Amino acid sequence: MKKNNQEQQSTARIFISNLLHNPSAIIGLTIIAIMILSAIFATQIAGVSPDYIDPVNGRQGPGWHHLMGTDQLGRDMFSRILSGGRQSIYIGVIASFLANFIGTILGSTAGYLGGKIDAVVMRLSELVMTFPQLILVLIFVSLLGQGINNVIIVFALTGWMTTFRLVRGEFFSLREEAFVEADRSFGFSKPRIIFRHILPNTLSPIVVAFTINIAIFIIAEAGLSFLGLGVPVTTPTWGNLLTAAQNPVVVNEYWWLWVFPALSIATFVLGVNFVGDGLRDVLDPRHKSLIAKNKWKKMLIGSLGRSK
Amino acid sequence: MISFLIRRISILAPMALTISALIFFASRLSPIDPINAMVSPDQAADSANLNQLREELGLNDHIILQYFRWLKNIATGEFGYSLQSGQKISEILALRMPATLELVLSALVLSTILALTLGLFAGAKKGGFADKLSRVLAVIGIAMPDFFIGLALLNVFAYRVAWLPTGNRVAPGQVTFWDRLPNLILPVATLTISMLAVLIRYTRNSVLDTLNRDFVKTARSKGVPEWRVLYSHVFRNSLGPVMVLLAFRLPLLVGGSILVESVFQWPGIGSTIIAAVSASDYPVIMVVSMLIAMVILVASFLVDIIKSILDPRVRLEGGK
Repeated sequence: MKKNNQEQQSTARIFISNLLHNPSAIIGLTIIAIMILSAIFATQIAGVSPDYIDPVNGRQGPGWHHLMGTDQLGRDMFSRILSGGRQSIYIGVIASFLANFIGTILGSTAGYLGGKIDAVVMRLSELVMTFPQLILVLIFVSLLGQGINNVIIVFALTGWMTTFRLVRGEFFSLREEAFVEADRSFGFSKPRIIFRHILPNTLSPIVVAFTINIAIFIIAEAGLSFLGLGVPVTTPTWGNLLTAAQNPVVVNEYWWLWVFPALSIATFVLGVNFVGDGLRDVLDPRHKSLIAKNKWKKMLIGSLGRSK
Repeated sequence: MISFLIRRISILAPMALTISALIFFASRLSPIDPINAMVSPDQAADSANLNQLREELGLNDHIILQYFRWLKNIATGEFGYSLQSGQKISEILALRMPATLELVLSALVLSTILALTLGLFAGAKKGGFADKLSRVLAVIGIAMPDFFIGLALLNVFAYRVAWLPTGNRVAPGQVTFWDRLPNLILPVATLTISMLAVLIRYTRNSVLDTLNRDFVKTARSKGVPEWRVLYSHVFRNSLGPVMVLLAFRLPLLVGGSILVESVFQWPGIGSTIIAAVSASDYPVIMVVSMLIAMVILVASFLVDIIKSILDPRVRLEGGK
């Protein structure tokens, strides 16, 4: 038992050290960490509350006083963008978690059982996948109404298919493995085989899908809020800040009101994608042999050796 | 092949029914009284007659019966009225559909041509100019919301240098094609860029896969010129997976341009949907989603056929 525990620890340690030696994961994690921290400490960093109204200084361009300018009510855009990250990231992460949860449950069940259930869920996922995502989201929003929680629920209901397909595929190949055969001959119940024995082996695609979904949902939130159908306007999110660009005058003259929110979305999404790429490298069995670590070591030691 | 086709078609019908049922019952969960959807607003204004109308129209009937009546109406082209404007939905569609088709079809064709060319060169010469360009485009396509590309283009080309109008479709009729073209350029460019990213990467990877196949080596060792190897051996054989992706994109023809239409004030289906959703205009939402669902079913049918032509083994799948 003890030995098993140690082995698990060392696998985890190898995983973490691999991840920390993967350049793209490091870049991504740094971006994400900085953006999350600055979202939490928005007021302290910007020096102004995101809701502080100062109409005299409305619609000022970026400058020393207001790094990213001010909006029509004189609120500091830098502060608003930093704190807008709170809701956007929150929505992305929670929705991605829920979507992954749905996808994992359906994928593992359908993948293990196969047959009719599998065929039905598969068709359903195809259908949801081909529906233009935004339209599906809009239909749900029109039924459920607006609000942060509804947006999260809608994203979860419309975004589970990637995870579902990945998990299902893994289960298809894993259910024929010897250890599953052994489980069956022991007479273990189906849920126990599915969730306790096979599922832990499919964690890597789930983790990768989790990161990618975060990026997709953050962009989707921006689009939905841009249309005025997402999070209520009173809450600043990156998408809601972009709504200002519905006004042609803003697009023309007050570019800082929409360029900076869009750039922060793009930066965060890139960061998440970097982490996703890094995770894929590290978790993919074909890359498991510490390739990243060795390459990194060679680069470091090699250059050091030469300088000596 | 014929039995495969029959099997596929026989799947379509129950799926269409399921979708229509979902749409119908979901819309009945909403608090809006469906009487308004069925009669024109002039009739609905007279509240004394409303209950009688309700009886006549069968709104007091069992909901299952109502569902089948709605289904029959949809099938025969009786889409009902918009709650917002009181217009016939079929008229709205006839007015808005061409605008969206014009926009998305141009973008679809343009992005396909560009993506196939760029993807082929990117795959043929890894690390070359086309490969780098395609990488940049992919990053833009992944990280930027498509409406931001639209806003940026709008700011630069419509306001700063003022070469192009800000969108706003010019309806066909009195004007020539050349009068209408400038208004089309920016929205189509936006949509094209946002569609390009995935397609280029997809083509590139497909080309790379094909390059590793044995028949390419054979062709090269026979001394076939490189451009011929690329064109008639590699390109044709890597088209398969790309065609599947393209068929999956057909539903975009109806509902794929919501954000772009909103940025450029394009009076298409996308704008109709936004207006309908923000006004809880259920009849319109129901009809449009039904329309999209039908296009999707047709598209997935096409995908199955393309797959079965490319890989005959697919035909046997599931036909025990």
